[in-house]
Amino acid sequence: MAKTSEITSELKVDYARVTELVLNMLKPPGAGWYALFVTCVAAFLWGAVAWTIQILDGLQVAGITHPIGWGVYITNFVFWVGIAHSGTLISAVLFLFRAKFRMPIYRLAEAMTVFAVLTAGLFPLIHVGRPWLAYWLMPYPNERALWPNFRSPLLWDVFAVSTYLTVSATFFIIGLIPDIAVCRDKAKTAVRKVLYTLTSLGWTGNNTQWKHYMSAYLFFAGLATPLVVSVHSVVSWDFAMGLVPGWHTTIFPPYFVAGAIFSGVAMVLTLIIPLRKVFKLEEIITPFHFEGMCKLILLTSGIVTYAYATEFYVAWFSNNQFERFQFWFRPFGDFKLAFWGMTFCNCIAPLSLWIPALRRNITYLFIMSIIINIGMWLERFNIIFTSLAREFIPSAWGGYNFSWIEVGITVGSFGWFGMYMCLFIKFFPSVSITEIKEILPPPVRSTKSHAAH
Amino acid sequence: MTMRGNTNKIVVGVFHYMDDLLSNIESVKHGGYEYKVYSPMARHEIEDATYPEKSPIRRFTLVGGVFGCIAGWSLAILCSLDWPLRVSAKDIVSPPGFFVVGYEWTILFAALATFLGLLHFCRIPDIFRKVGYDPRFSDNKFGLVVSANSGDAEAIKKHLLENGAEEAEIKDAL
Repeated sequence: MAKTSEITSELKVDYARVTELVLNMLKPPGAGWYALFVTCVAAFLWGAVAWTIQILDGLQVAGITHPIGWGVYITNFVFWVGIAHSGTLISAVLFLFRAKFRMPIYRLAEAMTVFAVLTAGLFPLIHVGRPWLAYWLMPYPNERALWPNFRSPLLWDVFAVSTYLTVSATFFIIGLIPDIAVCRDKAKTAVRKVLYTLTSLGWTGNNTQWKHYMSAYLFFAGLATPLVVSVHSVVSWDFAMGLVPGWHTTIFPPYFVAGAIFSGVAMVLTLIIPLRKVFKLEEIITPFHFEGMCKLILLTSGIVTYAYATEFYVAWFSNNQFERFQFWFRPFGDFKLAFWGMTFCNCIAPLSLWIPALRRNITYLFIMSIIINIGMWLERFNIIFTSLAREFIPSAWGGYNFSWIEVGITVGSFGWFGMYMCLFIKFFPSVSITEIKEILPPPVRSTKSHAAH
Repeated sequence: MTMRGNTNKIVVGVFHYMDDLLSNIESVKHGGYEYKVYSPMARHEIEDATYPEKSPIRRFTLVGGVFGCIAGWSLAILCSLDWPLRVSAKDIVSPPGFFVVGYEWTILFAALATFLGLLHFCRIPDIFRKVGYDPRFSDNKFGLVVSANSGDAEAIKKHLLENGAEEAEIKDAL
């Protein structure tokens, strides 16, 4: 176990070793990869069958009904958008801040972002019941001049999430181009050679290309940063613009953004810890990088805990009986297990990361990341279910009956996400080769000339 | 950059050390030759030595952003005016509500324009022309490719080898 004094940002590898370590991940997969991939495909197929049944039989087969009209699907939508969030935070915001712990983890975080947005985007389609009419959300010319309502937060969501997907996918692809060129130059089979030659777009890494590339990368990071703030703010307005007790609050945007970063960083840990172990990446993903992520988790956990407390305070201070009742119902009502589960997972358990020894215990971090993921799913459950179950008048109150269709689609979404991640890990570099080389000191003949730079 | 006669040859120098590369870039620049530098990653030292000016890509970003902002606001306003329907007692043209659309499209079009700018200035996609490129330049070596006429090529090769190049080779320019 590393002591604090041993944890530095310096990596003890050279350029050739970085190339070798990362390209090792692209070697033909073993039985473990196939087992994981088949499990993901099976989970996805379960979800696909469940969705097919829902399309054939209608939304009645799901548990969504009065008064909880936004159920598991919207919970999953917010959960996956939240997961998607930290990829751009890690790649763009931490790039602007020049945070060194970002380099080996950002590629995986970006891939996670793109695949998580693809997953999140499915849920509104599943939720509306008739996905073939989803194009009604788009402002397209039609003979009756029926335009969508631009004052609706649901339409803002369409613009925010589609922009987020496009920009994060473009950012992701730009980052990949120089690394794919490395794969092209090292490819041993004809199929891989063709794949990487086409997808590297002929990148050679000459001085002109790098100049424009770095400039474009900086602009992309600058453009993606306001997106990090806007996407989950817009998602939070889906709730906050409504008058439902428990939703109608101005604290939602910062609370959602912090929560999304919290869950996203936890998901990066969930993915990167097994990856590091399986592909023996200990030389480039060191305790220094885990320290950085743990500190981000501690910060965002603190913000989320503060937001939970503020919600209770505001409900009390508002003197509004409906708000006060809602915040009594959450810890003591029908869904109290979800509330206390959320409090334990998001507020109490992460506090253990103040202990340095636990921050450096990789197994503990993996377990903690799963706990946080569960906690953040429960947070969205709490917001949606408890608020809708107890709106203003008692005659409108109700509960929820979960159906296997919803469970199937939820499990399927993890399969869908995992399937893309498995394929990505085996076909493209999951750790940035060029950016790790950027932070390594270049080989110099004279120590004097290096010091001058 | 001044050209020295008909540059029908290129000299490809392979370097391991960054300081050797930088000193050779300075000599080549001093000699007035056209050159290209290949490196496995972006390095500010190479950038400062070869292309200290700002990249024009920023103009693409600006134009894209301005276009997106105007397009987003126009979309929301013109669609609302096309069939004026008052919703929730809000104005037909409701700037606070339309702000999100304008904001998102500003970023979207600025990002797409930046991407187009990147493709344009980096001259990609172009999977065929790689004169002087060596696969080691994406791994752990630096490359300096100098365009020269047949007469100068030998002298340049000699100069590179004497000043830190691990290898230097003369090839035909296409």
